[in-house]
Amino acid sequence: MTTIVEGRHLTREFPMPAGPVVALRDVSIEINPGAYVAVTGPSGCGKSTLLHLLGCVDAPTDGSLLFEGRDVARLTDSERSRIRLTRIGFVFQRFFLMPMLSAWENVELPQAEIGIRPADRRARTRELLEYVDLIDRGHHRPSQLSGGEMQRVAIARALANRPALLLADEPTGELDEDTGEQVADLFDRVHADGTAIVVVTHNPVLATRAERRLMMKRGTVVHS
Amino acid sequence: MTSRALAWRTVAASPARALLAVAGVAVIGALLFDMLLLSHGLLISFRDLLDSAGYDVRVIASDDPPAARIPITHADALIADISRLPEVQEIAAVRWDRALAIVSGRPAEGVTLISATVGAERKAWRIINGENLVAAGGTREPPPLVVSMRFAEALGLKVGSALGMRTTMFGAASAIPPVMFRVVGVAEFDFEPPGDLMAATTIDAFRRVHAGRGQDNADVVVIASRPPFGPDDAVTAINHLRPDLHAYSNAQLVTHFDQNGFAYFRQISFVLSSVTLGFAFLLIATLLTMSVNQRLSEMAALRALGFPRRRIVATLLWESTMLVGVGGLLALPLGGLLAFELDHILRAMPGIPERLHFFVLEPRAVVLHVGLLAATGLGAAAYPIWVAARLPIAATLRRETVS
Repeated sequence: MTTIVEGRHLTREFPMPAGPVVALRDVSIEINPGAYVAVTGPSGCGKSTLLHLLGCVDAPTDGSLLFEGRDVARLTDSERSRIRLTRIGFVFQRFFLMPMLSAWENVELPQAEIGIRPADRRARTRELLEYVDLIDRGHHRPSQLSGGEMQRVAIARALANRPALLLADEPTGELDEDTGEQVADLFDRVHADGTAIVVVTHNPVLATRAERRLMMKRGTVVHS
Repeated sequence: MTSRALAWRTVAASPARALLAVAGVAVIGALLFDMLLLSHGLLISFRDLLDSAGYDVRVIASDDPPAARIPITHADALIADISRLPEVQEIAAVRWDRALAIVSGRPAEGVTLISATVGAERKAWRIINGENLVAAGGTREPPPLVVSMRFAEALGLKVGSALGMRTTMFGAASAIPPVMFRVVGVAEFDFEPPGDLMAATTIDAFRRVHAGRGQDNADVVVIASRPPFGPDDAVTAINHLRPDLHAYSNAQLVTHFDQNGFAYFRQISFVLSSVTLGFAFLLIATLLTMSVNQRLSEMAALRALGFPRRRIVATLLWESTMLVGVGGLLALPLGGLLAFELDHILRAMPGIPERLHFFVLEPRAVVLHVGLLAATGLGAAAYPIWVAARLPIAATLRRETVS
């Protein structure tokens, strides 16, 4: 079983006028296929920074990151984009759906980008919207959906290209308790279907669903 | 979904912004188009005007063509000499002067009276009503007169009307008695300025109005070169024959005017075109930059989802192309309408021939307009595209989430 992503001694500093801020300090982490990891901790402890490094949208100042055995630091920007497109799914706190596209088109978008044939795209989009129970809202734009519905569309979009790893940054942060629980249920199903999940959250309900919890403080993992 | 489709959906999602952008580009594009038409319009129109007369060489006494009021003396001998040149096919002398038209019961009107060698009149004016000078019997009494439409309307003249003509000296009526004419035709004169009245008669009648003064003079001698010789060969031959005079081909006259009289318009056009392009650049750059700044989170999300930089760049380029393209296309009819109105205003200036235009539609101007707008659109899109392409994904997502 190949490790999906492996970070060793990850450190991430942000240069600031008053001096560099260390957001992540010497963190090592390994995500295997089918894992379900929750990262918790107070605001500013480095959870999102860790998630961004694992998702190849940011680069560590120090340490190394291997994605499916490939050293991310040696990859070009377009190679990293390709990994994100085909192997990683992102779910954001604020959904970040394309406002000018319908729910259906938002789910189709990543599939079109890797050149999946229209007929296959339609079948996969239908499957995903049924999966998140929004098939009857496919033609609605994000502005016509509730927060929970938008997040479910975002999860469907993240799963569109059958990623090995789903990364979620505070996916219930904008949702009420009941809706957050629906999203947590959905993550359980995604995990049960074999997709590895790393979720950054303040939501204890969501965190308890994970198989493994990482507690972070001041840029380091203090409890696993 | 292609970049073009994504750009179209983005543009269509904000119709007010898109309409504002298109309207802005259309208005600025219309001004740019007009400046391009103005930059060469007068020259093209002037060249067409010269060419339409059917002569391709002009001989004058003064080296300064616009003045051209120093007459050529001994014109008959000059015409005889030049017509013997093998490069010359057709030659005519043209004279003009100011005169007063006297119609009974009306105040005298200042007019420009011209005359041309027999045969040349068919090229200098076009008969609309009645007959031409020769057909009407150039030697009959009273002598024939062809008047412009405006002249006929202003003095209530028609074919068969009688009127007197008296020459003027320094703007006042001379002591020479008026000569009576009969109107034989109403014509359209190519060189008639809007504020002037024009009439034409035979060389003999013109001399009678001037009581023999400057009898053998010509203001300009016009020549049609003989094929396969061209106007340049004819000019060389005439300058060799009469180095004291000045022969110009139509192309040389156009060049001469371009470097002197019309340079003013070209410079104005260049300055205003540059300013207009600057405005177009700022407008497009501002609109696109604002649009990009409003959608930083979308772009960062697209990048996080795995869309490569080139896709973001291509989408923004399409967006710019759509706004500038539609605005640029609308600018053509809008600019054409504006040019028509401006041309109308400018042509009302005194001394401008009826058929001379300041704004002339030409394919070159359309191509240049499209090219300049496209280059401006691309240039203006460069900064917002650079911002979008260099977007730090993680930092943007963090900032957008926190905000």
